[in-house]
This record gives sequence, C-alpha cells and structure tokens, in this order.
Amino acid sequence: MININAIHKSFGDVEVLKGVSLTVAKGEVVCLIGPSGSGKSTVLRCINGLESYDQGSITINDRQVDVASKDINDLRTQVGMVFQRFNLFPHRTVVENVMEGPIFVKNEPRETAHANAIALLEKVGLGDKVEAYPQQLSGGQQQRVAIARALAMQPEAILFDEPTSALDPELVGDVLTVMRDLANEGMTMVVVTHEMGFAKEVADRVCFLYGGQIVESGDAHTLLTQPSHERTQDFLRRVLNH
Amino acid sequence: MEFSDITAFLPILLKGALITVQITIGALLLSTLLGLLLALMKLSPVRALSLTAGTFINVVRGLPIIVQLFYIYFVLPELGIQLSAFQASIIGLGVAYSAYQAENFRAGIEAIEAGQIEAARSIGMKSKLIMRRVVLPQAIRIALPPYGNTAVMILKDSSLASTITVAEMTRAGQLIAASTFQNTTVYTLVALLYLCLSLPLIFGVNRLERYFGKSAKGGNS
Ligand SMILES: Nc1ncnc2c1ncn2[C@@H]1O[C@H](COP(=O)(O)OP(=O)(O)OP(=O)(O)O)[C@@H](O)[C@H]1O
Ligand SMILES: [Mg+2]
Repeated sequence: MININAIHKSFGDVEVLKGVSLTVAKGEVVCLIGPSGSGKSTVLRCINGLESYDQGSITINDRQVDVASKDINDLRTQVGMVFQRFNLFPHRTVVENVMEGPIFVKNEPRETAHANAIALLEKVGLGDKVEAYPQQLSGGQQQRVAIARALAMQPEAILFDEPTSALDPELVGDVLTVMRDLANEGMTMVVVTHEMGFAKEVADRVCFLYGGQIVESGDAHTLLTQPSHERTQDFLRRVLNH
Repeated sequence: MEFSDITAFLPILLKGALITVQITIGALLLSTLLGLLLALMKLSPVRALSLTAGTFINVVRGLPIIVQLFYIYFVLPELGIQLSAFQASIIGLGVAYSAYQAENFRAGIEAIEAGQIEAARSIGMKSKLIMRRVVLPQAIRIALPPYGNTAVMILKDSSLASTITVAEMTRAGQLIAASTFQNTTVYTLVALLYLCLSLPLIFGVNRLERYFGKSAKGGNS
C-alpha cells in the first residue's frame, strides 16, 4: 500500500536521501533502523508529505504523495503519524485531542467522535484520563494519547518516529504493548526505533538505513541476528552493547 | 475644595470620561485587528508581506504618538482626507498601538512549538484550521496579559486626544480649571476618574492571567 520508489532529498547542498526504495504491504510492520542522521525521520516525513522529496515517487494506495497538491490533506488522514515528542495539543483535554481530527477534519458529529475517542482511549489503557490535560500525564501516557489521536482518523497506516525514545525506561513497555496489539490487529506500520527487541518480535521486515540509503533489508530475525552487511553488523554491535 | 464644586464639575468630567472610554475601545479594537493582520503578515513566508509589516511596525514605533495624531488631524486634510478630531484620535491611537499589538501577537504565535503544528498537519488539518484551532487559542493565552497592559496604556494615552481638541476627560478638566482656577479639585477628580477606569482593568487582567495560568498547566478546571 505504501510504495517508495528511489526517492532523493536534499537540504540545501546536502543530499540526505540517496535513492531510497521501500514497499510496505497492507498489514505489514516494517522497522527502520540506522544511526543518527541516516535519514530515518526524513523518510517517514516524506511518506505523509510533511517533507517534500526531489526525485523518485511515493504512492499510497496508488495515489501520488505530492506536498503541493490539493489532496495532500486527504492523504494525510490515511496515514497517521506518532512523534518522538508526542506533540499533543496542551490547551485541550485528552479526549479533545483525540476528537480534534474526526470533528474538524472529517466533520464527524460530536457525539460519534466522542464515543469513538473514549473507546480508543480505553483501548490504549487511558479510560480514566479522558478529562485530564496532557501536562498531567506521564510521557508514556501522553504517547498513548498520541497513538489514539492517530487511530481516531481511522488511518490505513501509521508511521512511528522513535515513539519511545523520549520516555523513561519504565514507561516504554506500555507504549510498546499498545503498538504490538495494533500490529496483531493487522495495522500497517512503519516504525523508526532503537528497540531491537520490539523489532525482532513484531516487525515483519527490518530495513537498515545508512547515509541516506537502505543498505540492507530483510526479515526481522535474519537481519538482526545474522546481518550480512558490515555496516549493519557494526551498528547492531553498538546498539546491542548499550 | 468644596462639595458644591465637585457636584458642579463631575457631570462635565463624566461626559469627558464617556468620550475617553469610547476612544479607548475604538482604538483598542482597531489596534487589535490591525495588529493581528500585521503579525500574520510579519510571519508570512512571502517576503514582500513580512518586509512591509516589519517596516510599518518600526516606523510607527519610532514616532511619538502625539506626532502621529497631529499628522492625521492636521496633515491628512491637506491631502483631502477630512476626519473629525474624534475619528482622528481613534485612528491615530489605533495605528500607533497596532505596532505593539503586532509584536505581542507574534510572540504568542511563535511560542507554539513546531511539533504541534506538524501533528496537526499529520491528521490532515489545513493551515487555516491549524491557525484557528491550535495556534490562536494558545497564542491568545500568552498574549493576553500584555494585551491587558496595552489596553491600560491606550486608556491613559487617550488623554493625548486633548491636544487635537477632543473633549475627552483631560480636556474637559483643562477647560474647567482654566475658567474656575480650581486646579486642585479639578485635577484630583480627573486623576480619581482615570483610576476608576484603569484599576478594574488592571485587576481584571491579573485575574485572567491567574485563571489562564492555571488551565494552561492543566489545573482542575
Ligand atoms: N529541516 C532540515 N534542514 C536541514 N537539514 C535537515 C533537516 N532535517 C533533517 N536534516 C538533516 O538530514 C539528515 C537526516 O536527518 P533525519 O532526521 O532524517 O535523521 P534520523 O535518521 O532520523 O536521525 P535521528 O536518529 O537523529 O533522529 C541529518 O543530517 C539532518 O541534519
Ligand atoms: Mg529522527
């Protein structure tokens, strides 16, 4: 459903993506790993048009992703995104954060949106926090609200950009549990992560990004335990010894 | 200071106070609209817009308000634009304060983290909707205390309208004092009346500030 074909992207003179290709089938979970600055976030941001790309093409269900086009907003409703720093709206309560998109983008009636939002919040384990403000929640709880906010748009895929990197270690588990459940329900997911355990267990495929290129990709278990490329071996050795 | 003086002066001063209030409200509204427009222009990616707004803001901030008033009241008629003294005072103060308002609003808008705007875009919100639902509600909370202070300053500076013959409160006081020589009584009354207008405004701002301060931190509201 997501089809990335040889995209290139430069910031000024620096080319940060040098021909990245990636296909994600419906229901597939793909993890992107790689060192800092390798272009992981940029790939994700290109997929939902937060960033433009210079060459190549990206399609979602055969629709071209084009930042300048009129229907980019419509495409974005089909691909949710969860950020490292949660990015909740601090002036709205938890349930209002989740209802915002359905009401104001999809024009759902308020009651429907509210009922769905409550159901989603219960699903991510926050049924008792619906009227709280984001600042009253822990990082892990905020991230689960952000996941519920993305789910409320009923997207066909969700992109996660290091969703647990800003969390205290003891809060990581709850967020990963929610993500694992989503994967088991058949959600299409592209996850940038440093959680190798999660990648090994949940991902169908892992891609190793280095210097703006995918140098190796393959089934999660093989890539993480027997990487064939030297750079991948290096990288894994370093993160696993952490 | 005699009681009979007070009862004689007060109605005249109150009439002036009414005009003071009208000028203040008029100038506040004008400066708000113009200030918001200038702030949005200044933040615009279109360079011509941001440059125009920036230049306008600097010029207006660099001029004494009284000179701006004289310009509008005495010079514009020579260019064929006739304004009553009352209109000129509202426009002069409104334009002068729009520059300060613009800077307030801009600071409020810029304080919103880029991440929130990205999150809003990622659920398909268009820029206008993001402005209305994400940026402005938060910017208003941030800009509200300086906004209240601006209102107080406009109230006080509305006395400048006396220099272009508007019979607002200060001018009314001057006229009474000139004809009765009761300077102490007249100007004490004028000062007290200004305080009657400004102190509630100041307290109101303080209260709002506390209220928003709480709910922004997510207090149990
Ligand atoms: N808006 C931008 N302007 C200029 N350069 C940028 C911008 N965004 C990213 N870059 C550069 O592009 C490169 C790739 O960045 P990207 O954020 O995609 O890396 P990443 O793999 O996500 O790294 P990290 O693990 O640190 O998040 C980096 O060198 C970064 O400095
Ligand atoms: Mg990144």
